[in-house]
Amino acid sequence: MSADTQENTIYDEVLEKGIDTATERFLVFSSDGLNIGVSTNYVIEIITNHAITLLPLVPDYVKGIINLRGQIIPIIDIRLRMGKPSIEYTSSTCIIVLNIGNTTIGVIVDAIQQVMDIDQSQIAPVPVENQQELISGMISSGARSVILFLDCEQLIRTY
Amino acid sequence: MDNMLEMYLYETNTLLEQLDELLIEAEKNEDFTSNDVNEIFRIMHTIKGSSAMMEFSTLMEIAHHIEDLFFFIRENGMDAMDEAHKSDLFNLMFQSTDALRTEVEKIENNEPLSTNIDQIIANINTFLEKISGPGEGNSEGTQSDEKTAPVSAPADAQAIAVINQDLAGCPKSEMPYFIRIHFDEGSGMENLRAFMIITALREVELQFEHYPEDVETNSDTADTIVENGFFVGLSSQEDVEKAVHVISDQSNVETYEVFENASVKQKEKKQATATPADSETKSKATPSASGTSNTPPASGGNAPVKQSLISVNLSKLDSLVAIVGEIVIAESMVRSSPDLQDLKLDNFMKSARQLRKLTDDLQDIAMSLRMVPVSGTFQKMNRIVRDMKKKLNKDTRLTIIGENTEVDKTIVDSISDPIMHIVRNSMDHGIEDTEEERIAAGKDPQAEIILSATHTGSEVIISISDDGKGMDTDKILAKAERNGLLVKPASEYSQKEILQLLMLPGFSTNEEVTEYSGRGVGLDVVKKNVEAVGGTIIITSELGKGSCTTLKIPLTMAIADGMEISVGSSMFTIPIANIRQSFKAAREDVILDSSGNEIIKCLDTFYPIIRIHDLYHIDTEVTNIEDGILIWVEASDKSYCLFVDELLGEQQVVVKPLPPFLSHFNIKDSGISGCTILGDGNISLILDIHSLYSVSHNYY
Repeated sequence: MSADTQENTIYDEVLEKGIDTATERFLVFSSDGLNIGVSTNYVIEIITNHAITLLPLVPDYVKGIINLRGQIIPIIDIRLRMGKPSIEYTSSTCIIVLNIGNTTIGVIVDAIQQVMDIDQSQIAPVPVENQQELISGMISSGARSVILFLDCEQLIRTY
Repeated sequence: MDNMLEMYLYETNTLLEQLDELLIEAEKNEDFTSNDVNEIFRIMHTIKGSSAMMEFSTLMEIAHHIEDLFFFIRENGMDAMDEAHKSDLFNLMFQSTDALRTEVEKIENNEPLSTNIDQIIANINTFLEKISGPGEGNSEGTQSDEKTAPVSAPADAQAIAVINQDLAGCPKSEMPYFIRIHFDEGSGMENLRAFMIITALREVELQFEHYPEDVETNSDTADTIVENGFFVGLSSQEDVEKAVHVISDQSNVETYEVFENASVKQKEKKQATATPADSETKSKATPSASGTSNTPPASGGNAPVKQSLISVNLSKLDSLVAIVGEIVIAESMVRSSPDLQDLKLDNFMKSARQLRKLTDDLQDIAMSLRMVPVSGTFQKMNRIVRDMKKKLNKDTRLTIIGENTEVDKTIVDSISDPIMHIVRNSMDHGIEDTEEERIAAGKDPQAEIILSATHTGSEVIISISDDGKGMDTDKILAKAERNGLLVKPASEYSQKEILQLLMLPGFSTNEEVTEYSGRGVGLDVVKKNVEAVGGTIIITSELGKGSCTTLKIPLTMAIADGMEISVGSSMFTIPIANIRQSFKAAREDVILDSSGNEIIKCLDTFYPIIRIHDLYHIDTEVTNIEDGILIWVEASDKSYCLFVDELLGEQQVVVKPLPPFLSHFNIKDSGISGCTILGDGNISLILDIHSLYSVSHNYY
């Protein structure tokens, strides 16, 4: 019992300290002209050119399943998930394999941009009138570009 | 601690199961053999000991009293009892084991144990008094001995302790050496701690005597131990060293001292009084020694079989099976690797064949690990039949055939409830209410329920049949009509279809709700449970002759024989068990029904055709019925033809569940039960023939 509380306090301390200075590493990808970041804590790997087995009778954004070294992983297309038109897959198209909670899921994106450290305190909420289902925050980087942040928990919640 | 609890629950449950089997068997013979009595004594002793260790006092108390009872029976033999007593004894034993089981269940569910067990204990005690009444001469002696021994011993010891603190050894012991142990002050439950030391000492197979003797059962000894310490008497210097080693490892031991029993004279003087009590100690210590230590090297020869078994966590087995499945796939991936094509590799192929054989063996063994005989489930039915027989006053015997048939563990677990339900139904509704009714129908007055299990290749067939009054199809039909379950005019229902109605939700033929069946959850739940493990259920019945329920269940769910088919660029697997036939059809064979659906005639019956490429919106060039192939499939009551592009071949597949994420999309209801990884690494979806039919129905 006492050990538990001790652990909790340590954990709290880390959190408190973390708020001011913590930078988190984000993987930024592009999809339909948007730059979207996803915390590297979720990212397992990036794969390309994987044969996707189609599944019948599912929403169109669920592209199917793949066999990743014996593990069956569902694949969704982030474009279609966000209601954007689909495009032909190119050589830069790739699948980001994410592990969210206990769910492993592959996300098809147009291209991978970069990995960058982002100060969490700089992340601003999305303006209410522009609310989007899968975006949890945004940050401006450089002169004209904006990076949106993917709400991973929301991604695996489907209705 | 959790581990200990798990072990405790496992052990206690196994023992209770053993006990139940033994009781049922004994009741059939209307007698306990001396072996049975010893076995029950041993079981109760173990439960008592381990419960005490885990501080489940309720369980300990009950077990203790039963142990006392059987101690008495063992001493006096079963012959001392008359018939009425015997049947009372059986009832009492069933009651007590039920009480034990409910307590164990409470522990499992993390509920507090019931504290009010006086009723059970009073029952046992009354019974003990009843049977000990007539056989006075001999039994009185033992009993009073039992009573006096613990009482007199502390008194003796106290006296000595007062006279001579240092020589406060057990006066009645002949052991030349003593160890006196004091526990940490205020550690509590000194008697149980002492008992743990006893157990530990027994484990190293030491011969010793201990005092107070009844630490195990008498919590008052805790005070005595606090005051005077706990004594262990040993016969040699060597034993003392061993014992000291053990004792120093025990927790909560504050101090211990070793001393010799120097006052031989004093001992001799006391010997006269000590002898009877001493012999009593021995008679009591021997059985407990063989009972408590769980791995006696064939001591008593009671359960030597158990030693070749170990219990393994099921999840470990699951991961083993999963990995073996991966190995099988990986192996065929290596063998069929495109890099090896067109190469002549004699040595490689030779080794590869060897590897294949080994992996096949490995797979077989891994699968067999999960196989358990259905006997456990079947034995439970014995108990149900017995109880209901008494309650409903229907003389019935349960005949079990093929109880050694082995089935996958998960399947055994999931069929237990359905079987129980069907057996109850048979007892309650199937069998005639009175013997007269049976005699009038020209049947044996004793009804019979036959429970049988047999293997057929990839399936196990379990059938539960009774020779009762059978089912009245007219009544069933009328009831179904009342409940609005009919989908076509009543006159159009065949016998088979009427019996199928029984398994619809919301159907229960018995108007009255009884204790055993007819609680509104009916055969529909049974059907669901059976179908959940990929099985089918068929009811047949003849009015006046009896009914039979047959469950067909796959041996294992993890591996299936499948037929690979292709549709466009997709591949699917159809379980071989569902396939009746595959054939090419000519265009003129296909007929359109009134709503434009395609149907085809096979063996004089018409079946609908389901085109997978239409159903699943798959692009394929094969749309002409003559280009592709038709597969006639069947699952429980559904039978139809699937139209596919081509057959790729038969293959054993390792069934993998689809990722849980996809369950959001009701993938299970779209005719796909899982998937499998093929030799080349591609995924093939496994079709669920049963639900596929419903999908197509909704779709068209």
